[in-house]
Amino acid sequence: MKILIVEDERPLLESMLTYFSDVGNICEFASSYTLASEKINLYNYDCILLDLGLPDGEGLNLLKELKKLKKSDGVLIISARHSLDDKLTGLDLGADDYLVKPFHLSELKARVTAIVRRKKFDGNNVITFNEITVDITNMETSVNNHPITLTKKEYDLLIYFLSNKGKVVTKNAIAEHLWGDEMDISDDFDFIYTHIKNLRKKIIEAGANDYMQSVYGIGYKFASL
Amino acid sequence: MKLADRYNRVNLLTALIVLLITGLIYYVVIHFIFTEKLDRDLTVEEDEIKQYVATYNKLPLPASFLDQQVHYKLLNRGIKESRIFKNTTFFNVKENESEPGRSLVTTLSQGNNLYEVNITKSRLEAEGLVRIILLITLGVTCLLLLSLILINRLFLKRLWKPFYSILDQMKAFNLVKMSDIELNKTEVDEFQELNSSAAQMATSVRQDYKELRNFTDNASHEMMTPLAVINSKLDTLLQAGPITEKQGVLMEDIYNAINRLTRLNQSLLLLTKIENNLLSDVQVVDFREVITEKCRQFQEILNRENIVLSVDLQPCEIEMSRYLADILLNNLLGNAIKYNKTNGYISIILKADSIEITNSGKNFALTEQHFERFFKSASSEGMGLGLAIIKQICALYNLSIRYSFPGGNHCFTLSINRQVS
Repeated sequence: MKILIVEDERPLLESMLTYFSDVGNICEFASSYTLASEKINLYNYDCILLDLGLPDGEGLNLLKELKKLKKSDGVLIISARHSLDDKLTGLDLGADDYLVKPFHLSELKARVTAIVRRKKFDGNNVITFNEITVDITNMETSVNNHPITLTKKEYDLLIYFLSNKGKVVTKNAIAEHLWGDEMDISDDFDFIYTHIKNLRKKIIEAGANDYMQSVYGIGYKFASL
Repeated sequence: MKLADRYNRVNLLTALIVLLITGLIYYVVIHFIFTEKLDRDLTVEEDEIKQYVATYNKLPLPASFLDQQVHYKLLNRGIKESRIFKNTTFFNVKENESEPGRSLVTTLSQGNNLYEVNITKSRLEAEGLVRIILLITLGVTCLLLLSLILINRLFLKRLWKPFYSILDQMKAFNLVKMSDIELNKTEVDEFQELNSSAAQMATSVRQDYKELRNFTDNASHEMMTPLAVINSKLDTLLQAGPITEKQGVLMEDIYNAINRLTRLNQSLLLLTKIENNLLSDVQVVDFREVITEKCRQFQEILNRENIVLSVDLQPCEIEMSRYLADILLNNLLGNAIKYNKTNGYISIILKADSIEITNSGKNFALTEQHFERFFKSASSEGMGLGLAIIKQICALYNLSIRYSFPGGNHCFTLSINRQVS
């Protein structure tokens, strides 16, 4: 996928570039409003990661520009403001999602992947990873064409891993993804362990390889062996 | 004691004393003047009698007039001459009654005989005059006191009106609601000064408060970007290559710390947002629906902790921000779970005008302090902002929150004040 990252905070930009620079991804960046504006005028992107707090212009105006250009690039807003109004305005102006700083790169990746998947929807919305297939439209998972039954949380977890395949995903990130605000009440990660254990068991029992590796207690990695 | 009352008391007391003393002096002086005049009249009479005796060498006839009586009495030899004035009674023949009188008792020698001459005059007229004067004085005193009281009652009350108006407003002054101090017009310099000072103070307090909130807001927001950088760098570091178990533990600790800092920041931002009343999604929130949804969300944790949840939900709708309703219940229920014990219970009772959440827990009651920011008990793992946020949300929507500790259970009751909202 082709991605444009609009972010003026250099270290953050670099992290994002590194995380997204997988095989098959093209990542470009703009560190100011002007540069971003030039780029969106010239090229098409699958997804634009847009930081609202730019030094030389209001990030939301880029959305208006996109609309004027009649472009259908996916847009994910990144903001330091946990503001409902900003979020609503952004989504109103055509943004696809809204992520508040600080965030886990794995969460960012999962959301960008979801946006791109939605944008590229062509009647065949299926993620395939070796013998595992997930049909997003029907929320159906199958291994070697045999459907398996997953709970909502297990399904979300699988999608999350598939969006971040080959990456180490921390327990913190998983907890936040699956539980969001509620997780506040329980910071121990036994929950995640239970869900991961169940998911892993179901997939292996259906005949797939064990792609899930625990990484020194800090997180998990879903990758081809 | 009110200022006016105090002033009144002093004022009235002084007036009373001064008037009484004046009345007394009046009485004494007038009495003295009248006695003096009577005595002069008596002396004139005495002179006349003496002249008569000197001219005719005999006593005049004892005469009895309407207001004057003269008597003679032959005295024994050897009694010394004397002359005294004294108060006596005067028998009014016409009226046939006794009246107060003034007598001059003097001695007079006629030939070889010594007579005692007693001239008496009625004092009735003089006494009457004195009495009238006294009555008038008393009357004036009463009238004056009465009018003073009335003035104090009616006029002072009106005079102090601007003062009480500004006092009421200062009492009602609410920083959170940013209420304004309205100035009533007044002609009195002191009150004008008070008004303008109060208004000025309110403005500067509001300004300071606003700056403080903006500062919190900005500081919290500014912290988010560096936090994002740290988080992203850690994520990147994690991908970079094989890490040892030791490093993994270290990184997890950093992640957890970032997590806490982020939550702290978000809570602070939320607090400022509630204080600023910046949440625009106010709508009629069906609490039955929200609570049902929350219970579903928390079910997994409840199951794990083996906590029994019992709910009794009647329809209840509150007009408030949906987002805050969510946070309110999240915090209340979250606390009920977090500070519960294994195999404990939680009961939620929703009525049309109240929400009651009771949970079993460790055996110590919360105090007022727990509602303050950053206060937490030793065993608490939170940041100490949960209850402060609950309190703030309740304050914003006029919900009154009450905590009780019946039989070792924690019970939070939110009452909805319908008439206000």
